[in-house]
Amino acid sequence: MYAVETQNLMKKYGKTYALKGLDFTVDPEEIMVLLGPNGSGKTTLLMTLATVLKPTSGTATVMGLDVVKYPTKVRQILGISFQDARGFWRHKPAEILRFHAAMCGVKKSERKAIIEQVLKELELWDARNKLFMHLSGGQAKRLEVAKILVQKPKFAIFDEPSSQVDLRGKRTIWEKILELRERGATLLVATNEVREAEYLADRVTILDQGKSIICDTVQNLKDKIAGGDIVELELEPDENNVEIEQELAKIPGTAKLTPMDGNKYKAYVSIAEAWVPKMTSLCYERKIRVSSVRVTEPSLDDVFLSFTGKKLETNENV
Amino acid sequence: MFDVIRLVWFDLKNELKPPVWVGLQWFTSIVQLLIYAALIKQMMNANVISQPYNYQQFYAVGFLIIMTFDIGSHAGRQFVEAAHEGRLPYLLSLPISRSKLFLSIALRGGFELALMLTVPFTITLLLIGNLTAVSIGAAIATLFCLGFGVAGLMLGLSFIAFKSSDMYSAIVTGLSAIIVRFSTIMYPLAFLTQTSPSYASAATLNPLAYGADLVRLLLGFNPNSLLNPAVAVTVLTSVAVGTLGLSAFLLQRLVEGVKSA
Repeated sequence: MYAVETQNLMKKYGKTYALKGLDFTVDPEEIMVLLGPNGSGKTTLLMTLATVLKPTSGTATVMGLDVVKYPTKVRQILGISFQDARGFWRHKPAEILRFHAAMCGVKKSERKAIIEQVLKELELWDARNKLFMHLSGGQAKRLEVAKILVQKPKFAIFDEPSSQVDLRGKRTIWEKILELRERGATLLVATNEVREAEYLADRVTILDQGKSIICDTVQNLKDKIAGGDIVELELEPDENNVEIEQELAKIPGTAKLTPMDGNKYKAYVSIAEAWVPKMTSLCYERKIRVSSVRVTEPSLDDVFLSFTGKKLETNENV
Repeated sequence: MFDVIRLVWFDLKNELKPPVWVGLQWFTSIVQLLIYAALIKQMMNANVISQPYNYQQFYAVGFLIIMTFDIGSHAGRQFVEAAHEGRLPYLLSLPISRSKLFLSIALRGGFELALMLTVPFTITLLLIGNLTAVSIGAAIATLFCLGFGVAGLMLGLSFIAFKSSDMYSAIVTGLSAIIVRFSTIMYPLAFLTQTSPSYASAATLNPLAYGADLVRLLLGFNPNSLLNPAVAVTVLTSVAVGTLGLSAFLLQRLVEGVKSA
């Protein structure tokens, strides 16, 4: 059984479709990252799974429970960290967490210790008695994440968990998210940050315009780009180099071979790990020495570009 | 049920911390009822109507109705604010049923009403005097019924706020002005009938007028100069049940289908 499954899920706002027949699954105890630009339907999908929004049509289940038929039961097993940490302006972080823990059924005897631990881990301890309205954007975002860490749900949803957070804070949040998975939780993380996706994802689903474009592990997605890996190699000067150039271009998986200055070549290949051994064998057979090899993997941004024709990261969200 | 109480208290406790707002409301009530109402009482020309009124007592009940209306409206507006400030998606994601969530919103309004009315209601009882526990209890029940009706109306209108909060504010403000003024809250029906029959006709269509006159009847005012109590009970009950039912229905459909602002 999938932890999360949607079938032909649609959500319409007026005349606009936010989700257009989405088919999507998440396995138990995995971190599924939803990657997509703003407006791709990520947040709508998360809100629908969290039963905050009702789908226009189609089905969605969480741990086997239909989100429309059993919304309260679904809410009892999930926790959601929202994209915008807003709302309780005149409350303090410590009391917000106490309230959240109590509402989510965390045992009274455990609440105090868990809240203290999470506040300290997310560097919110000193701000625990500040009013929410006086927190910085990063602190408010960390508090949003802290709710889930206190709750420890079976299924956790994070909507852009580290946006507005500094680099050190991002790393802490990512580590805590990985810890949740280690404890057996299933996680769904929406982001448009490539580094976040690469750090966290067991699998990535690329969403664009309300549809799932592709879903796979980060490595498989990169490998699926024809010519996505770039191998830069330099050969020792040899009179046979013209012939070797033609033979290198014929190695399976070579999308393009471009001669550079001197005896340097740039090969665009599908899977560098498979291509490089074949290249070295060929050079060995032809008695040509390889001076240097440098492999560059595509980023998830390149993957996104390859499958959607659009850049994921803009100057705004890098 | 603990969840509902916890939710109500979490939301309400900030109103009391520090209790400036509540204190100001109580202070305003004391000034309104003991100073302004007493002055207006002396200014009133009792000869206009056949039966002279103690206008201070009349005004005190009217003031309770205005406060009830304001607090009921406030409950509706708070819901709209919750949606616009991003609090609503969080509340909707909590592991409680929608009926419990809506109950907590209604109870919060009820507690706020009780809290705010404590002082003016006590002053009103002292001004009128000579009352039974039953009549006081019935008057309180009437005020709560009216408060729920107003809150239901405002919650029902909140769907406008999802399109435009400015439009919602304009409509609610305009509606409040009309509802409060075209009523018998501040003017006895007998006075209106003699001085402006068309105004009196408009007042007989107004639920607040029925609420005010029913409370007055229960607190011992002369029934001959008030609106029919049987009609008043029917109107108030219908308004409370109708608007709350309609708003619950609308909110169930709207809230889960509309993006938070």
